[in-house]
Amino acid sequence: LLVVSLNPVKGFDHAWLLDYKTNAFVFQERRRGRGQHGGNRSGRGHKGERQRGTRPRLGFEGGQTPFYLAIPKYGFNEGHSRRPQYQPLSLKRLQYLIDLGRVDPTQPIDLTQLVNARGVTIQPLKRDYGVQLVDEGSDIFAAKINIEVQRASEGAIAAVERNGGVITTSFYDPISIEILIRPVPFFMRGQPIPKRMLPGEDMVPYYTSAENRGYLADPDKIQQARLALAQKYGYVLPDISRDELYHMLAMRKDVRQVFFGLSPGWVVNMAERKILKPTDEKLLKYYTS
Amino acid sequence: EIYSSINQYTPNHKCFRKLVHLHKNKHINRPYWIYFSSPQQQKPALIESTEEFVFVERLIPPSRIPDPPKHAGPAPSGWTPPAETPPPLPYMIRRSRMHNIPVYTDLTHGNRKMTLVRKVEGDIWALEKDVKQFLQELTGKDMPTQVNEVTMTLRIKGHFDQELKSWLSSKGF
Repeated sequence: LLVVSLNPVKGFDHAWLLDYKTNAFVFQERRRGRGQHGGNRSGRGHKGERQRGTRPRLGFEGGQTPFYLAIPKYGFNEGHSRRPQYQPLSLKRLQYLIDLGRVDPTQPIDLTQLVNARGVTIQPLKRDYGVQLVDEGSDIFAAKINIEVQRASEGAIAAVERNGGVITTSFYDPISIEILIRPVPFFMRGQPIPKRMLPGEDMVPYYTSAENRGYLADPDKIQQARLALAQKYGYVLPDISRDELYHMLAMRKDVRQVFFGLSPGWVVNMAERKILKPTDEKLLKYYTS
Repeated sequence: EIYSSINQYTPNHKCFRKLVHLHKNKHINRPYWIYFSSPQQQKPALIESTEEFVFVERLIPPSRIPDPPKHAGPAPSGWTPPAETPPPLPYMIRRSRMHNIPVYTDLTHGNRKMTLVRKVEGDIWALEKDVKQFLQELTGKDMPTQVNEVTMTLRIKGHFDQELKSWLSSKGF
């Protein structure tokens, strides 16, 4: 490299970034050897298929059954685009986000809050149906939160409830997920907030069971499940009703609601900071069904 | 013009007049259900309110990284805040944008492990000497290091990120 000093102030010992300038040799195009010392065989080797350019296709093994034909087919990736995926969120990462003040534990923690804190990245176009809580870091976890996820492992549920928190698993269809992770671009569209769809047949058993703290499950059975889990993992279940944050911990979304405090059918006017609500009976009946 | 041409096809009824009026201002985005709700003089098609806008404000993502709350000592996740006053050493290592210690691992060519210390200010050679001494006590070997004075970074052969992070946080950086 040719070092040309563009530094106007001379007498400095250190080299400056400005001092280095590229030259024309760097931008030469690369071609096969043509002439003089790049010539003779021109980088093609000696005789055979290499020099003559008649090599067989990629994967050919000289007549032996090639690898890509010898191995039998198996449907590993069959139906991959119909499989729901859930982005994992460990309790260790959640605790880290709370400690750094990116997630507010005094408000209900939603998928929107997690994405706003840049704690998880959800890609609805890659069949992501939300976030799943993983129990890595369950021994470190020490925060009382009201969290709503799409899937949760048993250990994660135990860790959250041990600290006096509330955990719920709920279902969001792909359109609702898209709106949930990017609420502001959705509001700018001027469309009314849609109602959240109910889970499909295969997911109904998951969201109606109390062990998974499903949002469609019976509240009494959930309380029994909480006691059973406390006995299984060996901790004393703290009484939430005596808590000062009980009102926040008991906050839950309606089955058809996408955002806290905003019901389906409303239109948000971001520019004028207003909310428009419909009054027609048919519309109200549709959105509250 | 537009008004008269539409009047040819639609009867001059009250509800269709409102439809025509809305069609005149096509550039404004209105929700589709306005066209289907029958306009009555007593009941408006929509109600405007500003009370629930608080919930919308909660959904807006913050544009700046928030400052971490005060912790007395290490937090439950293992994060330690920097010391109140910087330690009295000839060098200083700033925290990253996300308030973490800027020590990173690097892997090139599939097998070349390196540790990188970034955001160094002051006498980087003194830091290199201290790091070499610390690693000598830790491993018993002299680890090769590379100082880059232009970018003010320090590269060390091998993965030592956890050890260096705890050592730097104990110093108070």
